[in-house]
Amino acid sequence: MGSALLIERWAWWRPAGVSVILALAGAPSVPLIWQAIGAGGLTGGLTEAFRSSLMNSTQVAILAGAAALFTGLPLGVLAGIYSFPFRTLMLVILAMPLLLPSHLLAIGWSSIGIRLSFSEWLSGLPGCVLVFAAMGVPLVLLTTLASCSSLTESQIEAARLSGGERTVITQVLRHAFYPGLVAATLSGILSLSDPGPGQIFGLPVAAAEILTSFAAFFDFARAGQQCLILSGITLCIVAPALFFAASPLANELLVRQTRPIRLKRQAAPSRLAALLMFGVVAVQLMFPLLGLSLPAFSGGQFERAWNEVARTFQDTALYAAGAGMTATALGFLLAFCAARNERLRHACLAGSLALLALPPSLAALGVIAIAVGAPEWTDPLLRSRLTVSLTLGARFFPVSALVALRAWASTPATWVLAAAVHGISLRRYLWKVLLPFLAPSLLMSFLISALLAASDVVTTLLLHPPGASSLPLTIFTIMANAPESIVATLCLLYVAGAAILMGCLWWITGKAWK
Amino acid sequence: MLVRLLSIIALLILTSCGAEDAARPAPVVVYSSVDEVFARPIVERFQQETGIEVRLVPDTEETKSAGLLNRLIAEKDRPQADVFWSGDPVRAAILKSRGLSAPYHSAQAEGLPAQFSDPEGHWTGFSARARVLIYNRNLVQAGQEPKSIMDLIGPRFKGRAVIANPLFGTTSMHAAALFGSLGEAKAKEFFEQFTANGGKILSSNGEVRRRVADGEFAAGITDTDDANVARLEGKPVGFVYPDQDGIGVLIIPNCVVLIAGGPNPGGGKKLIDYLLLPKTEQALADSEAAQMPARPGVSVPAAVTPLDQLKPMKVDYAMLGELLDQLAAGYLKDWVDRSSR
Repeated sequence: MGSALLIERWAWWRPAGVSVILALAGAPSVPLIWQAIGAGGLTGGLTEAFRSSLMNSTQVAILAGAAALFTGLPLGVLAGIYSFPFRTLMLVILAMPLLLPSHLLAIGWSSIGIRLSFSEWLSGLPGCVLVFAAMGVPLVLLTTLASCSSLTESQIEAARLSGGERTVITQVLRHAFYPGLVAATLSGILSLSDPGPGQIFGLPVAAAEILTSFAAFFDFARAGQQCLILSGITLCIVAPALFFAASPLANELLVRQTRPIRLKRQAAPSRLAALLMFGVVAVQLMFPLLGLSLPAFSGGQFERAWNEVARTFQDTALYAAGAGMTATALGFLLAFCAARNERLRHACLAGSLALLALPPSLAALGVIAIAVGAPEWTDPLLRSRLTVSLTLGARFFPVSALVALRAWASTPATWVLAAAVHGISLRRYLWKVLLPFLAPSLLMSFLISALLAASDVVTTLLLHPPGASSLPLTIFTIMANAPESIVATLCLLYVAGAAILMGCLWWITGKAWK
Repeated sequence: MLVRLLSIIALLILTSCGAEDAARPAPVVVYSSVDEVFARPIVERFQQETGIEVRLVPDTEETKSAGLLNRLIAEKDRPQADVFWSGDPVRAAILKSRGLSAPYHSAQAEGLPAQFSDPEGHWTGFSARARVLIYNRNLVQAGQEPKSIMDLIGPRFKGRAVIANPLFGTTSMHAAALFGSLGEAKAKEFFEQFTANGGKILSSNGEVRRRVADGEFAAGITDTDDANVARLEGKPVGFVYPDQDGIGVLIIPNCVVLIAGGPNPGGGKKLIDYLLLPKTEQALADSEAAQMPARPGVSVPAAVTPLDQLKPMKVDYAMLGELLDQLAAGYLKDWVDRSSR
């Protein structure tokens, strides 16, 4: 096989590879976008109501992204360099909001707000920002953790020697800021395509307008036009952030020694980390979970709920794991193609964010359109559980792309040169050197994408083969008229089960982390 | 070790995502907008009694996702569904207007009221719900319960009444029925007065039930199954069939549709026949849905009011879909937008 130098050399296949991967991820949305453009461009979708709801959505996205950044970034830094009691447990619990559909979190907040008489404070913008910030914090935190994993013990020691713990924290914050900023931007963008909290808290949002076009008017063309407008506006807003973030994301590691960080237990910072984590867990997760799950203790519906879990668990795990693998594979392939080229990195980020802004219905209905037009022998690819996994993976691959771009850039170019000098083949270099180094980022990318995919309801509803529903989808299909206690019990079982799985995975692969 | 773990996961995924086993008999695929908790026991019973496998694809509330109807429309040229079990005639009529349904006159439809079904046989109505006024007993004194939907625009319920979004679900059907029954001027007056009186629009009937039961609002309009579930949970709610001295209460029959070009039309017809049996209506009446049998003579539990004891709203179910199409894109959308500002 070729030389390891292939990884660092510019070649024509790099921009081609980036284009192909972005095109693949965007391909499912093409049928409806084509229909939208054919129906008369974008003017049909730009109604007064849509314009006004766009303003609301933009406000929510910016505020939720900012809240996620200023909460998740310091938490991620502290968790990335210090050890404290129950660190792994807290990290697992903090990742849980990624697992829950936003609608459930919103209902949880609404319920606890009514019980404790503060529901008026949640009405409108505040409630929406609260829910989306809760989902953005784990995204920023996990991305920050992945960023910290590319630091070395010698860098931390150098910072510690020069100025103590304060310098360590400041320098790590600077190192992790741009990945955290892009993660916060991603979480803001995800909120644009989600109508749930806006509906619960009474705030008209763009995603609800698009949902109305789909579910009330069955007007795919109009919905497609609105989706294009949303995506275009998203790009315009995030373009400055991308411009500043792309270069720092490419900062590589230029050290000879690559001892990974050893988590230290320092009295004050460790205590601060533990306190902050507990505070965020309490506010962002415990309150809404309490609101959702209190009815579980009055209903005695455990057996009925367990039957639903048993029926849907395998498919839920399959969709989540399949999506995680697809997203990770696409994200790291993209990073491989983009390498350290700044223009390609800009293109990757811009393309990924534009895709993420599109509501999931667009891609899912596009996949159906492709499947319907295709011959029957394509059904195992286009009308099976694999279809759901691939579509979910394509939806959340921008998140993996962010982690991958950062991770790839942090690999030292000098390693490639050393491998070339010693005649190490590309295959051996990838397998023996690069893959182990990237392992923590691979795992993080897989986890984040799998969690986000597990909570998806729209894509699963539209694409799952008859009889292969997921647990979150089942919660949504029964919650209209099932007793509150069974919905609450299902939510508790779902979160508990996912937390146990995540904890096991984290523990099993802990060695890879070190 | 991580790579080995990921490889095992990949292998499991690929082996689990295979195509159907061609040797097994074809199952019947039914898409259902009827709540899963009520539909699943019925189809499971059909499966046990006939040995025919049924794959149920339930829907979410319409405001939570693009919905199954969009899936059906998108799959039109090569459908996966054999039957669509709709919670109301409007969705069934939409399928007919888009050429997705096939006519089927089931022998089991005998005894069902003709006004609940499509004259050309594209959908057959059975087992019904009704639109009711739900109220919180802690916030509404005995004797002060609302008796008409017009009470919600009065001073008693100022700022304390809720309705679900009239662009979706049974609320959209109710809105269309009001325009048909009251006339355009009076119907518009109701909606305008509702918002002027501080009434709120919530996302769904389930939300109306939840927030009235929790005491955030005093009264609202929802369906009988929502109200009954709240009652069974011991929530402090009551409900009233509105306008028994006036225009009457809107009755919403379930409707069953044979999908044109479905993969298993024979199985689909058998399922439709089963759904139209009196014992299915009995089962739905006995369930938490507390549905009212459309067929006279089917016994009901104490919590269910038989249809013949209610004054129904005079509605042309076949025309409601068309009326709703005009209203949804016009007045109703405008009203929802203005109310949300």
